[in-house]
Amino acid sequence: MTREQRVTEIFVEVADSLIDDFDLIDFLQQLSVRCMELIDVAAVGILLADQHDVLQTMAASDEHTRLLELFATQHDQGPCVECYKSGQARTNINLTDPKVSARWPQFAPRAAETGFVAANALPLRLRGRVIGTLALFQNDPDPLSPEDITLAQALADIATIALLQQRTAAQSEVERSQLQHALTSRIVLEQAKGILAERWHVTVDQAFAAFRAYARAHHHQLAQLAREIADGAFDTTQIPQPEPPLSQN
Amino acid sequence: MISDRMVEVLRLLQDSDESTDLFDVSAAGADALAVDGLAVSLVTAAGTSELVCCSDESTRRFEDLQFTLGEGPGPDALRTGALVWVPDLAKVRAQDWPALAMEAPALSARAVFCFPMTIGAIKVGVLTAVRRTPGPLTSQQGDDALILAAALTARCLGSGEPRLDPPDPAGSPHSLLHAVVHQATGMLSVQLALPLPQALLRLRAHAYSSGRSITDISQDVVDRRLRLDHNGNGDGTPPTVVEKD
Repeated sequence: MTREQRVTEIFVEVADSLIDDFDLIDFLQQLSVRCMELIDVAAVGILLADQHDVLQTMAASDEHTRLLELFATQHDQGPCVECYKSGQARTNINLTDPKVSARWPQFAPRAAETGFVAANALPLRLRGRVIGTLALFQNDPDPLSPEDITLAQALADIATIALLQQRTAAQSEVERSQLQHALTSRIVLEQAKGILAERWHVTVDQAFAAFRAYARAHHHQLAQLAREIADGAFDTTQIPQPEPPLSQN
Repeated sequence: MISDRMVEVLRLLQDSDESTDLFDVSAAGADALAVDGLAVSLVTAAGTSELVCCSDESTRRFEDLQFTLGEGPGPDALRTGALVWVPDLAKVRAQDWPALAMEAPALSARAVFCFPMTIGAIKVGVLTAVRRTPGPLTSQQGDDALILAAALTARCLGSGEPRLDPPDPAGSPHSLLHAVVHQATGMLSVQLALPLPQALLRLRAHAYSSGRSITDISQDVVDRRLRLDHNGNGDGTPPTVVEKD
Protein backbone atom coordinates (compact mmCIF):
# COMPACT_ATOMS: atom_id res chain seq x y z
CA MET A 1 0.00 0.00 0.00
CA THR A 2 1.34 3.43 -0.87
CA ARG A 3 1.68 5.99 1.84
CA GLU A 4 -1.04 8.05 0.24
CA GLN A 5 -3.47 5.14 0.44
CA ARG A 6 -2.44 4.52 4.01
CA VAL A 7 -3.03 8.18 4.92
CA THR A 8 -6.47 8.12 3.34
CA GLU A 9 -7.30 4.95 5.21
CA ILE A 10 -6.20 6.48 8.47
CA PHE A 11 -8.26 9.60 8.00
CA VAL A 12 -11.32 7.48 7.31
CA GLU A 13 -10.55 5.44 10.41
CA VAL A 14 -10.24 8.65 12.41
CA ALA A 15 -13.55 10.04 11.17
CA ASP A 16 -15.20 6.76 12.12
CA SER A 17 -13.68 6.84 15.57
CA LEU A 18 -14.74 10.34 16.50
CA ILE A 19 -18.25 9.39 17.44
CA ASP A 20 -20.11 9.76 20.71
CA ASP A 21 -18.53 7.95 23.63
CA PHE A 22 -15.37 7.11 21.76
CA ASP A 23 -12.46 6.02 23.86
CA LEU A 24 -10.13 9.01 24.05
CA ILE A 25 -7.03 7.35 25.46
CA ASP A 26 -7.28 4.35 23.20
CA PHE A 27 -7.87 6.65 20.24
CA LEU A 28 -4.82 8.78 21.02
CA GLN A 29 -2.74 5.68 21.53
CA GLN A 30 -3.74 4.28 18.15
CA LEU A 31 -3.15 7.67 16.57
CA SER A 32 0.38 7.59 18.00
CA VAL A 33 0.98 4.17 16.48
CA ARG A 34 -0.35 5.30 13.08
CA CYS A 35 1.82 8.39 13.21
CA MET A 36 4.87 6.27 14.04
CA GLU A 37 4.16 3.96 11.09
CA LEU A 38 3.32 6.67 8.57
CA ILE A 39 6.24 8.92 9.30
CA ASP A 40 8.52 6.00 10.01
CA VAL A 41 9.88 7.12 13.35
CA ALA A 42 10.78 5.04 16.41
CA ALA A 43 8.27 6.41 18.91
CA VAL A 44 5.46 8.93 19.12
CA GLY A 45 3.83 10.53 22.13
CA ILE A 46 0.92 12.88 22.66
CA LEU A 47 1.36 15.28 25.56
CA LEU A 48 -1.21 17.61 27.09
CA ALA A 49 -0.42 20.59 29.33
CA ASP A 50 -1.98 20.59 32.79
CA GLN A 51 -2.99 23.59 34.89
CA HIS A 52 0.64 24.11 35.91
CA ASP A 53 1.63 24.30 32.24
CA VAL A 54 3.42 21.01 32.71
CA LEU A 55 3.20 18.52 29.86
CA GLN A 56 1.58 15.21 30.79
CA THR A 57 1.68 12.16 28.57
CA MET A 58 -1.77 11.24 27.32
CA ALA A 59 -0.71 8.41 25.05
CA ALA A 60 2.33 6.91 23.37
CA SER A 61 2.96 4.57 20.47
CA ASP A 62 4.53 2.19 22.93
CA GLU A 63 3.16 2.32 26.44
CA HIS A 64 6.24 0.90 28.10
CA THR A 65 6.93 2.62 31.36
CA ARG A 66 10.45 3.38 30.21
CA LEU A 67 9.13 5.49 27.35
CA LEU A 68 6.44 7.12 29.49
CA GLU A 69 9.11 8.16 31.96
CA LEU A 70 11.22 9.63 29.17
CA PHE A 71 8.24 11.76 28.22
CA ALA A 72 7.78 12.66 31.87
CA THR A 73 11.32 14.03 32.12
CA GLN A 74 10.14 16.67 29.67
CA HIS A 75 8.25 18.53 32.39
CA ASP A 76 10.72 21.38 32.36
CA GLN A 77 13.05 20.72 29.44
CA GLY A 78 13.28 19.05 26.09
CA PRO A 79 11.88 19.57 22.61
CA CYS A 80 8.24 19.36 23.71
CA VAL A 81 8.66 22.04 26.35
CA GLU A 82 10.29 24.36 23.83
CA CYS A 83 7.56 23.67 21.32
CA TYR A 84 4.83 24.21 23.92
CA LYS A 85 6.33 27.44 25.29
CA SER A 86 7.07 28.95 21.87
CA GLY A 87 4.03 27.56 20.06
CA GLN A 88 6.37 26.69 17.18
CA ALA A 89 7.25 23.29 15.77
CA ARG A 90 10.72 22.07 16.76
CA THR A 91 11.87 19.67 14.12
CA ASN A 92 14.93 17.58 13.28
CA ILE A 93 16.72 18.19 16.54
CA ASN A 94 19.95 16.24 16.72
CA LEU A 95 20.03 14.78 20.23
CA THR A 96 23.66 13.71 19.88
CA ASP A 97 24.78 17.30 19.41
CA PRO A 98 26.69 18.33 22.60
CA LYS A 99 25.01 21.74 22.51
CA VAL A 100 21.63 20.03 22.67
CA SER A 101 22.61 17.76 25.57
CA ALA A 102 23.99 20.75 27.43
CA ARG A 103 20.66 22.54 27.00
CA TRP A 104 18.67 19.55 28.32
CA PRO A 105 20.91 17.85 30.89
CA GLN A 106 18.19 15.53 32.24
CA PHE A 107 16.31 14.81 29.06
CA ALA A 108 19.17 14.25 26.59
CA PRO A 109 20.96 11.39 28.41
CA ARG A 110 17.70 9.54 29.01
CA ALA A 111 16.74 9.92 25.37
CA ALA A 112 20.15 8.59 24.35
CA GLU A 113 19.76 5.62 26.72
CA THR A 114 16.52 4.76 24.97
CA GLY A 115 18.35 4.89 21.65
CA PHE A 116 16.85 8.07 20.28
CA VAL A 117 19.14 10.29 18.24
CA ALA A 118 16.70 12.82 16.80
CA ALA A 119 13.52 14.46 18.03
CA ASN A 120 10.64 16.50 16.66
CA ALA A 121 7.85 18.27 18.51
CA LEU A 122 4.72 19.75 16.95
CA PRO A 123 2.15 21.90 18.71
CA LEU A 124 -1.42 20.81 19.45
CA ARG A 125 -3.08 24.07 18.44
CA LEU A 126 -6.44 25.33 19.58
CA ARG A 127 -7.44 28.73 18.23
CA GLY A 128 -4.16 30.52 18.74
CA ARG A 129 -3.43 28.64 21.95
CA VAL A 130 -1.16 25.63 22.34
CA ILE A 131 -2.61 22.90 24.56
CA GLY A 132 0.07 20.26 24.19
CA THR A 133 2.49 18.64 21.78
CA LEU A 134 3.02 15.70 19.50
CA ALA A 135 6.49 14.24 19.99
CA LEU A 136 8.31 12.12 17.42
CA PHE A 137 11.54 10.35 18.27
CA GLN A 138 13.89 8.73 15.78
CA ASN A 139 16.51 6.00 16.05
CA ASP A 140 18.13 7.24 12.85
CA PRO A 141 19.43 10.75 12.17
CA ASP A 142 17.71 11.17 8.77
CA PRO A 143 15.83 14.47 8.87
CA LEU A 144 12.08 14.41 8.35
CA SER A 145 10.95 15.90 5.04
CA PRO A 146 8.63 18.92 4.86
CA GLU A 147 5.89 16.46 3.77
CA ASP A 148 6.51 14.37 6.87
CA ILE A 149 6.19 17.44 9.05
CA THR A 150 2.97 18.57 7.35
CA LEU A 151 1.48 15.13 7.83
CA ALA A 152 2.57 15.01 11.47
CA GLN A 153 0.99 18.41 12.06
CA ALA A 154 -2.27 17.15 10.54
CA LEU A 155 -2.18 14.22 12.96
CA ALA A 156 -1.46 16.64 15.83
CA ASP A 157 -4.56 18.62 14.81
CA ILE A 158 -6.60 15.42 14.86
CA ALA A 159 -5.39 14.75 18.40
CA THR A 160 -6.65 18.21 19.39
CA ILE A 161 -10.04 17.55 17.81
CA ALA A 162 -10.26 14.24 19.66
CA LEU A 163 -9.41 15.89 22.97
CA LEU A 164 -12.26 18.34 22.51
CA GLN A 165 -14.68 15.71 21.34
CA GLN A 166 -15.17 13.88 24.60
CA ARG A 167 -18.36 14.28 26.47
CA THR A 168 -18.28 15.54 30.02
CA ALA A 169 -20.89 16.64 32.48
CA ALA A 170 -19.58 20.17 32.61
CA GLN A 171 -21.99 23.08 32.51
CA SER A 172 -19.65 25.60 30.98
CA GLU A 173 -16.07 26.21 30.04
CA VAL A 174 -16.37 23.02 28.12
CA GLU A 175 -12.91 22.98 26.63
CA ARG A 176 -11.10 23.52 29.88
CA SER A 177 -13.18 20.86 31.49
CA GLN A 178 -12.50 18.40 28.70
CA LEU A 179 -8.77 18.85 28.90
CA GLN A 180 -8.87 18.51 32.67
CA HIS A 181 -10.95 15.37 32.38
CA ALA A 182 -8.49 13.86 29.92
CA LEU A 183 -5.60 14.41 32.33
CA THR A 184 -7.55 12.82 35.19
CA SER A 185 -8.46 9.81 33.06
CA ARG A 186 -4.83 9.18 32.34
CA ILE A 187 -3.98 9.15 36.05
CA VAL A 188 -6.81 6.70 36.76
CA LEU A 189 -5.39 4.47 34.04
CA GLU A 190 -1.98 4.44 35.74
CA GLN A 191 -3.58 3.60 39.11
CA ALA A 192 -5.50 0.72 37.52
CA LYS A 193 -2.30 -0.59 35.89
CA GLY A 194 -0.70 -0.76 39.34
CA ILE A 195 -3.70 -2.53 40.86
CA LEU A 196 -3.72 -5.17 38.14
CA ALA A 197 0.05 -5.63 38.14
CA GLU A 198 0.02 -6.37 41.85
CA ARG A 199 -3.04 -8.60 41.70
CA TRP A 200 -1.52 -10.67 38.92
CA HIS A 201 2.14 -10.44 39.96
CA VAL A 202 3.21 -9.10 36.58
CA THR A 203 4.87 -5.89 35.45
CA VAL A 204 2.73 -2.80 34.92
CA ASP A 205 3.44 -3.03 31.20
CA GLN A 206 2.19 -6.63 31.05
CA ALA A 207 -0.82 -5.65 33.10
CA PHE A 208 -1.66 -2.82 30.74
CA ALA A 209 -1.36 -5.01 27.65
CA ALA A 210 -3.80 -7.55 29.10
CA PHE A 211 -6.13 -4.82 30.33
CA ARG A 212 -6.21 -3.11 26.95
CA ALA A 213 -6.76 -6.36 25.06
CA TYR A 214 -9.72 -7.13 27.31
CA ALA A 215 -11.17 -3.61 27.02
CA ARG A 216 -10.94 -3.67 23.24
CA ALA A 217 -12.41 -7.16 22.93
CA HIS A 218 -15.35 -6.22 25.14
CA HIS A 219 -15.81 -2.66 23.86
CA HIS A 220 -15.08 -1.04 27.18
CA GLN A 221 -13.54 2.42 27.23
CA LEU A 222 -10.08 2.25 28.78
CA ALA A 223 -10.71 5.21 31.07
CA GLN A 224 -14.11 3.97 32.17
CA LEU A 225 -12.93 0.43 32.87
CA ALA A 226 -9.87 1.77 34.68
CA ARG A 227 -12.11 3.86 36.90
CA GLU A 228 -14.31 0.90 37.75
CA ILE A 229 -11.24 -1.13 38.63
CA ALA A 230 -9.84 1.68 40.77
CA ASP A 231 -13.19 2.06 42.53
CA GLY A 232 -13.36 -1.68 43.19
CA ALA A 233 -16.54 -1.87 41.12
CA PHE A 234 -15.25 -4.35 38.55
CA ASP A 235 -14.43 -8.01 39.09
CA THR A 236 -10.95 -8.19 37.60
CA THR A 237 -10.96 -11.99 37.51
CA GLN A 238 -12.97 -11.55 34.31
CA ILE A 239 -9.84 -10.29 32.57
CA PRO A 240 -7.57 -13.06 31.30
CA GLN A 241 -4.30 -12.83 33.18
CA PRO A 242 -1.24 -12.05 31.12
CA GLU A 243 1.36 -14.71 30.43
CA PRO A 244 4.05 -15.33 31.38
CA PRO A 245 3.81 -14.24 34.99
CA LEU A 246 6.74 -12.39 36.46
CA SER A 247 8.95 -14.76 38.45
CA GLN A 248 8.47 -14.27 42.17
CA ASN A 249 11.65 -12.71 43.48
CA MET B 1 -0.25 30.66 33.67
CA ILE B 2 -0.55 31.43 37.37
CA SER B 3 -1.06 35.04 38.48
CA ASP B 4 1.21 36.79 40.98
CA ARG B 5 -1.64 37.03 43.45
CA MET B 6 -2.25 33.31 43.34
CA VAL B 7 1.46 32.69 43.85
CA GLU B 8 1.05 34.61 47.12
CA VAL B 9 -1.93 32.46 48.10
CA LEU B 10 0.05 29.26 47.45
CA ARG B 11 2.89 30.62 49.57
CA LEU B 12 0.40 31.22 52.36
CA LEU B 13 -0.83 27.64 51.95
CA GLN B 14 2.71 26.32 52.09
CA ASP B 15 3.49 28.30 55.24
CA SER B 16 0.36 27.18 57.08
CA ASP B 17 0.73 23.84 58.78
CA GLU B 18 -2.53 23.39 60.68
CA SER B 19 -5.91 22.88 59.09
CA THR B 20 -7.25 25.95 60.91
CA ASP B 21 -4.92 28.09 58.83
CA LEU B 22 -6.86 27.12 55.74
CA PHE B 23 -9.33 29.86 56.65
CA ASP B 24 -6.73 32.51 55.78
CA VAL B 25 -5.87 30.65 52.62
CA SER B 26 -9.51 30.51 51.51
CA ALA B 27 -10.01 34.20 52.25
CA ALA B 28 -6.87 35.16 50.33
CA GLY B 29 -7.84 32.77 47.54
CA ALA B 30 -11.28 34.36 47.26
CA ASP B 31 -9.65 37.79 46.93
CA ALA B 32 -7.23 36.55 44.29
CA LEU B 33 -10.07 35.01 42.28
CA ALA B 34 -12.31 38.09 42.75
CA VAL B 35 -15.11 35.96 44.20
CA ASP B 36 -16.99 36.51 47.45
CA GLY B 37 -16.12 33.22 49.05
CA LEU B 38 -14.28 29.94 48.82
CA ALA B 39 -15.15 26.68 50.51
CA VAL B 40 -13.27 23.41 50.78
CA SER B 41 -15.29 20.26 51.42
CA LEU B 42 -13.52 16.96 51.87
CA VAL B 43 -14.71 13.42 51.33
CA THR B 44 -14.77 11.50 54.62
CA ALA B 45 -13.86 7.84 55.00
CA ALA B 46 -17.61 7.14 55.08
CA GLY B 47 -17.97 8.73 51.65
CA THR B 48 -19.87 11.80 52.84
CA SER B 49 -18.67 15.36 52.35
CA GLU B 50 -17.59 17.57 55.16
CA LEU B 51 -17.05 21.30 54.98
CA VAL B 52 -13.61 21.90 56.45
CA CYS B 53 -13.07 25.50 55.60
CA CYS B 54 -15.13 28.39 54.38
CA SER B 55 -14.22 32.03 53.98
CA ASP B 56 -17.65 33.63 54.50
CA GLU B 57 -21.23 33.08 55.54
CA SER B 58 -23.01 33.12 52.16
CA THR B 59 -20.62 30.52 50.82
CA ARG B 60 -21.21 28.39 53.91
CA ARG B 61 -24.95 28.65 53.37
CA PHE B 62 -24.64 27.56 49.77
CA GLU B 63 -22.33 24.70 50.63
CA ASP B 64 -24.62 23.50 53.43
CA LEU B 65 -27.63 23.69 51.16
CA GLN B 66 -26.26 21.66 48.29
CA PHE B 67 -24.87 18.96 50.51
CA THR B 68 -28.13 18.84 52.50
CA LEU B 69 -30.12 18.56 49.30
CA GLY B 70 -27.58 16.11 47.95
CA GLU B 71 -27.54 17.87 44.61
CA GLY B 72 -25.80 20.78 42.96
CA PRO B 73 -22.52 21.61 41.29
CA GLY B 74 -20.43 20.44 44.26
CA PRO B 75 -21.89 16.92 44.48
CA ASP B 76 -21.75 16.70 40.66
CA ALA B 77 -18.10 17.75 40.57
CA LEU B 78 -17.28 15.12 43.19
CA ARG B 79 -19.23 12.39 41.46
CA THR B 80 -17.96 13.03 37.93
CA GLY B 81 -14.52 14.45 38.67
CA ALA B 82 -15.28 17.21 36.17
CA LEU B 83 -15.39 20.98 36.59
CA VAL B 84 -18.94 22.16 37.17
CA TRP B 85 -19.41 25.88 36.66
CA VAL B 86 -22.69 27.72 37.08
CA PRO B 87 -22.08 31.34 36.04
CA ASP B 88 -25.73 32.22 36.68
CA LEU B 89 -27.62 30.33 39.36
CA ALA B 90 -30.89 31.97 38.27
CA LYS B 91 -30.65 29.99 35.04
CA VAL B 92 -30.29 26.59 36.71
CA ARG B 93 -32.70 24.22 35.00
CA ALA B 94 -35.10 22.29 37.18
CA GLN B 95 -34.23 19.03 35.44
CA ASP B 96 -30.58 19.36 36.46
CA TRP B 97 -31.05 20.10 40.14
CA PRO B 98 -34.78 20.35 40.96
CA ALA B 99 -34.45 21.10 44.66
CA LEU B 100 -31.58 23.53 44.21
CA ALA B 101 -33.42 25.32 41.39
CA MET B 102 -36.29 25.95 43.83
CA GLU B 103 -34.00 27.29 46.53
CA ALA B 104 -31.73 29.32 44.26
CA PRO B 105 -33.79 32.56 44.16
CA ALA B 106 -33.54 32.91 47.95
CA LEU B 107 -29.76 32.67 47.96
CA SER B 108 -27.31 35.55 47.87
CA ALA B 109 -24.99 33.39 45.80
CA ARG B 110 -25.48 34.07 42.10
CA ALA B 111 -22.56 32.25 40.48
CA VAL B 112 -20.85 29.06 41.67
CA PHE B 113 -17.77 27.34 40.35
CA CYS B 114 -16.80 23.89 41.58
CA PHE B 115 -13.38 22.32 41.12
CA PRO B 116 -13.01 18.64 41.96
CA MET B 117 -10.02 17.87 44.16
CA THR B 118 -8.98 14.52 42.77
CA ILE B 119 -5.88 12.52 41.95
CA GLY B 120 -7.11 10.12 39.30
CA ALA B 121 -9.64 7.86 41.02
CA ILE B 122 -8.78 9.33 44.42
CA LYS B 123 -11.47 11.76 45.47
CA VAL B 124 -10.19 14.19 48.06
CA GLY B 125 -12.91 16.84 47.98
CA VAL B 126 -14.18 19.84 46.11
CA LEU B 127 -13.21 23.50 46.03
CA THR B 128 -16.18 25.82 45.57
CA ALA B 129 -16.01 29.48 44.60
CA VAL B 130 -19.12 31.59 45.16
CA ARG B 131 -19.87 35.04 43.77
CA ARG B 132 -22.84 37.29 44.55
CA THR B 133 -22.90 38.59 40.98
CA PRO B 134 -23.52 36.39 37.92
CA GLY B 135 -20.95 35.96 35.17
CA PRO B 136 -18.18 33.61 34.09
CA LEU B 137 -14.68 33.40 35.53
CA THR B 138 -11.99 34.94 33.36
CA SER B 139 -9.49 32.62 31.78
CA GLN B 140 -6.87 33.79 34.30
CA GLN B 141 -9.22 33.14 37.22
CA GLY B 142 -9.94 29.68 35.82
CA ASP B 143 -6.22 28.90 35.60
CA ASP B 144 -5.60 30.21 39.11
CA ALA B 145 -8.50 28.29 40.61
CA LEU B 146 -7.34 25.03 39.02
CA ILE B 147 -3.88 25.53 40.45
CA LEU B 148 -5.28 26.32 43.89
CA ALA B 149 -7.49 23.22 43.73
CA ALA B 150 -4.45 21.08 42.86
CA ALA B 151 -2.43 22.54 45.73
CA LEU B 152 -5.30 22.01 48.16
CA THR B 153 -5.71 18.44 46.91
CA ALA B 154 -2.11 17.60 47.73
CA ARG B 155 -2.46 19.37 51.05
CA CYS B 156 -5.79 17.90 52.13
CA LEU B 157 -5.10 14.32 51.07
CA GLY B 158 -5.00 12.54 54.39
CA SER B 159 -6.50 15.32 56.47
CA GLY B 160 -7.41 13.81 59.78
CA GLU B 161 -4.40 11.53 59.60
CA PRO B 162 -1.40 12.52 61.69
CA ARG B 163 0.30 15.42 59.96
CA LEU B 164 3.85 15.26 58.83
CA ASP B 165 5.61 18.21 60.26
CA PRO B 166 7.19 20.31 58.77
CA PRO B 167 4.99 20.40 55.66
CA ASP B 168 5.90 17.51 53.49
CA PRO B 169 7.95 18.52 50.47
CA ALA B 170 7.05 15.20 48.84
CA GLY B 171 3.45 16.34 48.88
CA SER B 172 3.77 19.15 46.40
CA PRO B 173 1.63 18.75 43.29
CA HIS B 174 4.71 18.50 41.12
CA SER B 175 5.88 15.36 42.86
CA LEU B 176 2.68 13.65 41.73
CA LEU B 177 3.32 14.17 38.03
CA HIS B 178 4.95 10.88 37.26
CA ALA B 179 2.95 7.94 35.99
CA VAL B 180 5.05 5.71 38.22
CA VAL B 181 3.62 7.33 41.37
CA HIS B 182 0.09 6.43 40.33
CA GLN B 183 1.13 2.91 39.35
CA ALA B 184 2.83 2.41 42.73
CA THR B 185 -0.28 3.74 44.48
CA GLY B 186 -2.37 1.09 42.73
CA MET B 187 0.12 -1.65 43.59
CA LEU B 188 0.35 -0.66 47.23
CA SER B 189 -3.41 -0.53 47.59
CA VAL B 190 -3.51 -4.22 46.64
CA GLN B 191 -0.44 -5.19 48.69
CA LEU B 192 -1.77 -3.57 51.85
CA ALA B 193 -5.49 -3.95 51.12
CA LEU B 194 -5.91 -0.19 51.51
CA PRO B 195 -8.04 2.28 49.60
CA LEU B 196 -6.07 4.31 47.04
CA PRO B 197 -5.88 7.51 49.14
CA GLN B 198 -4.30 5.68 52.07
CA ALA B 199 -1.94 3.88 49.71
CA LEU B 200 -0.76 7.21 48.31
CA LEU B 201 -0.33 8.52 51.86
CA ARG B 202 1.81 5.53 52.76
CA LEU B 203 4.02 6.20 49.75
CA ARG B 204 4.32 9.82 50.70
CA ALA B 205 5.04 9.02 54.34
CA HIS B 206 7.70 6.55 53.32
CA ALA B 207 9.29 9.07 50.97
CA TYR B 208 9.29 11.60 53.76
CA SER B 209 10.73 9.33 56.43
CA SER B 210 13.40 7.93 54.12
CA GLY B 211 14.38 11.33 52.74
CA ARG B 212 13.93 10.17 49.15
CA SER B 213 11.61 11.51 46.52
CA ILE B 214 8.20 9.93 46.07
CA THR B 215 9.12 9.23 42.43
CA ASP B 216 12.15 7.17 43.49
CA ILE B 217 10.17 5.30 46.13
CA SER B 218 7.44 4.62 43.60
CA GLN B 219 9.92 3.32 41.05
CA ASP B 220 11.24 0.87 43.65
CA VAL B 221 7.70 -0.31 44.42
CA VAL B 222 6.87 -0.76 40.73
CA ASP B 223 10.17 -2.60 40.13
CA ARG B 224 9.39 -4.71 43.22
CA ARG B 225 12.57 -3.69 44.98
CA LEU B 226 10.54 -2.31 47.87
CA ARG B 227 7.49 -3.54 49.73
CA LEU B 228 5.83 -1.59 52.51
CA ASP B 229 4.25 -3.76 55.18
CA HIS B 230 1.23 -3.21 57.36
CA ASN B 231 3.09 -1.84 60.37
CA GLY B 232 2.55 1.77 61.13
CA ASN B 233 -0.79 1.91 59.43
CA GLY B 234 -2.63 5.03 60.43
CA ASP B 235 -0.67 5.65 63.62
CA GLY B 236 1.86 7.93 62.03
CA THR B 237 4.94 5.89 62.86
CA PRO B 238 7.36 5.45 59.99
CA PRO B 239 6.47 2.33 58.04
CA THR B 240 8.71 -0.67 58.37
CA VAL B 241 10.42 -1.57 55.16
CA VAL B 242 11.07 -5.02 53.86
CA GLU B 243 13.73 -4.74 51.21
CA LYS B 244 13.58 -7.54 48.69
CA ASP B 245 16.16 -8.45 46.11
